[in-house]
Amino acid sequence: MFIFLGLLVLVVLYIVGFYNGLKTTEVRIGASIQEIGNQLKRQAELIPNLVDSVKGYLTHEKGIFTQLTDARKLVTTALETQDPKAIDKAQASLTQALRSITVIAESNPEIKASNLVSNLMGELRDTSDKVMYARRTLIDLTADFNVKISTIPGIWFASMFGFKAKPGLETPTSGDFLTVNPKDTAPPQVKL
Amino acid sequence: MQNVYEQVEANKTKSIVIVALFTAFIVGAAYLIGQSLGDANILPIALAFSLISSVGSYFYGPNLVLSLNGAKPAARKEFFDFYTVTENLALAAQIPVPQIYVIDSPAPNAFATGRDPKHAYVCATTGLLTKLNRTELEGVVAHELSHIKNYDTRLMTIVAVLIGTLSLFTNLAFRNSMYRDSDSDRKSGTPAIIGLVLIIFSPIIAQLIQLAISRRREYLADASAVMLTRQPSGLINALKIISADATKFSQASTATAPLYISNPFRGNKIASLFSTHPPLNERIKALESML
Repeated sequence: MFIFLGLLVLVVLYIVGFYNGLKTTEVRIGASIQEIGNQLKRQAELIPNLVDSVKGYLTHEKGIFTQLTDARKLVTTALETQDPKAIDKAQASLTQALRSITVIAESNPEIKASNLVSNLMGELRDTSDKVMYARRTLIDLTADFNVKISTIPGIWFASMFGFKAKPGLETPTSGDFLTVNPKDTAPPQVKL
Repeated sequence: MQNVYEQVEANKTKSIVIVALFTAFIVGAAYLIGQSLGDANILPIALAFSLISSVGSYFYGPNLVLSLNGAKPAARKEFFDFYTVTENLALAAQIPVPQIYVIDSPAPNAFATGRDPKHAYVCATTGLLTKLNRTELEGVVAHELSHIKNYDTRLMTIVAVLIGTLSLFTNLAFRNSMYRDSDSDRKSGTPAIIGLVLIIFSPIIAQLIQLAISRRREYLADASAVMLTRQPSGLINALKIISADATKFSQASTATAPLYISNPFRGNKIASLFSTHPPLNERIKALESML
């Protein structure tokens, strides 16, 4: 009698634990889906701004280069025409360009430009990593959940509480991408 | 093989056992010394001392370990890859982002500390950060986050601090007994002998404790790291780079050595006898079988 009662208590405790465990995972799955959205939002806000800042810097540098070529043109025409006014103008524009260059040279232009670009690449990789890991969390939690409700003994109780398998990260289960074409086996070409 | 939950429970239990053993050892030693000196005051002092250092190692151990190793908080801008990789992997491991620290040393190494995932710290040397690329760094950070998630950090930090305290204690006992010896005509033979016994035994005890707790958990943390990154090659390459590097690591001490991802005293023959880490090439082999 007591053994029977003890067994009953154990079964009830197991079911309570089972239910709470699954509910917790269910809530976490919901949170992980929100996290994916959160990371996508971060990405959408961050990337255009980053690209803009790099663009801004590069046009700044481009401006100096055009300034420099303009100055050089002025110098050649001045030398051809030997016009003192033209020489004066060329000299002024050259000093202007040189001054800008020294300013950039002092702050190490190439390194700075390449730093900015590599920063951008770093941020790009980081943000896609973040989205990937957020998705990974969803996939892992879903796998946990689905394993629990589809194996013995969970499968006996899952339907009792109306637990159904979660779709996780939804990917089409048929189509071109499930087969590997000869084209896919070729190494990718990178053109710069 | 234990699963993660059993590992967490085992670590919590072991932390308590270690503290109990430490207290018993200190109080026992104090009792012996008190007996031989005929001084009863030493016992409550020893009890208070061991309690304070145990509680202190639980709450302040991580900060102590960080400052002993000369670690400084890392800024996102300066250590971009380290910072963001830790953020991302904490997301994947489903733990709060730990506090991120850096040690200024060319020797590539890293460790984690903290009493639980909510109070956790990850620390890497600048050498590691410059020598590894992002994928390799992900492997190392994932390894450290696994230690945090498994509560290895609680156990290891407590052990590190208590062993440090023990060696301080034995040093004191040693000096005391020397002093009393030279103090001529008092009966000072016994404390001198006990001091000597303490000096001989406590490092052995310390090493045995470290051996008991450390070797297998490194394999487990490697495996969990791969579960997080799904790229065994990252951690494999990182371990290869670390094992090929012979730069001396001056900040590490024997007490904090078991915390690190690779033994800071590699190459030292006597130290490797008592190594708390499995050989790197065996860890690499275990990881390569996952490829």
